[in-house]
Amino acid sequence: MNSDMRMDDRDKDDALLDALFASGKSQSVEASSAFLSKLEMDMEAAIPKPKTAATKHTPPSMMEKLKGIFAATGLSSAAALGVWMGFVMPDLVTNISPISEEVTSLSAFLPGSDLSVFEE
Amino acid sequence: MDQMSETDPTDEALLIAFSNGDASAGRDLINRLGPRLLGYAARVLGDKAEAEDAVQETMVKLWKVANDWRQGEAKVSTWAYRVLINHCTDRLRRRKIRGAVDLDSIAEPEADLKSAVEQMTEKDRADALQNALTELPERQRQAVVLRHLEGLSNPEIAEVMDIGVEAVESLTARGKRALKAALNGRKDELGYAHG
Repeated sequence: MNSDMRMDDRDKDDALLDALFASGKSQSVEASSAFLSKLEMDMEAAIPKPKTAATKHTPPSMMEKLKGIFAATGLSSAAALGVWMGFVMPDLVTNISPISEEVTSLSAFLPGSDLSVFEE
Repeated sequence: MDQMSETDPTDEALLIAFSNGDASAGRDLINRLGPRLLGYAARVLGDKAEAEDAVQETMVKLWKVANDWRQGEAKVSTWAYRVLINHCTDRLRRRKIRGAVDLDSIAEPEADLKSAVEQMTEKDRADALQNALTELPERQRQAVVLRHLEGLSNPEIAEVMDIGVEAVESLTARGKRALKAALNGRKDELGYAHG
């Protein structure tokens, strides 16, 4: 009998609490439009900038990097070779070429190219 | 936890869209999360102005993590509740240090179609509940509010509070017992004595 009464009381207390929770839900604090606007302003200030073509920067690939290196080294090597040849070549030409002592005409190698046959 | 139709984008989809520069997705997320977070914070802090500040801080943090959000790891709302709980806890601690609790500062909700008398009773009941909630230990209050007023499931609360499901059940059970004890002497006043 007593335990039945205790159960009844407990059920009533549960019902009371459930009703209070329902009241609590219905009386929830509402977000004012001013508050939501404040949140929107924060959001707009934090919005990431969209990526555009002008600002887009992609790191160069390995092949592109190598091409660049080859181009730079090739150009500087060619320039250095040109300068070196400018200094060294005149001597080299006189040293290795016998042309100054024995002139050989082009017709010796290419008979048909003797231009004197055209002369009158 | 989320009340939305199947065609609505998820909170996570909105956050990703925001991180790609979509302001309207950010606005949708504010409208979805803002009122819920505010309801929770107001109940736990018992102060609307302070609750608004706590929610604002939480949302600012959300925008900051948007770019680094790891998809599929946590629900956005769970993450937001967790951050908000930390902000509320900090504020309650600071308040304890200051020794100031202002229970009368909760703003009145806007009137609806119910009769004035009925509204009055509803408001009295809600106020009584709020006062009783304020008396609960902090963790019990958090668990009871999340479970019985915000409608989160026990596993969701466990994730938000970073504890086990059994601990959540224990906290809510103890919280409810304490609430019943606190409200027991006010049944007549609240219109429940003869119901």
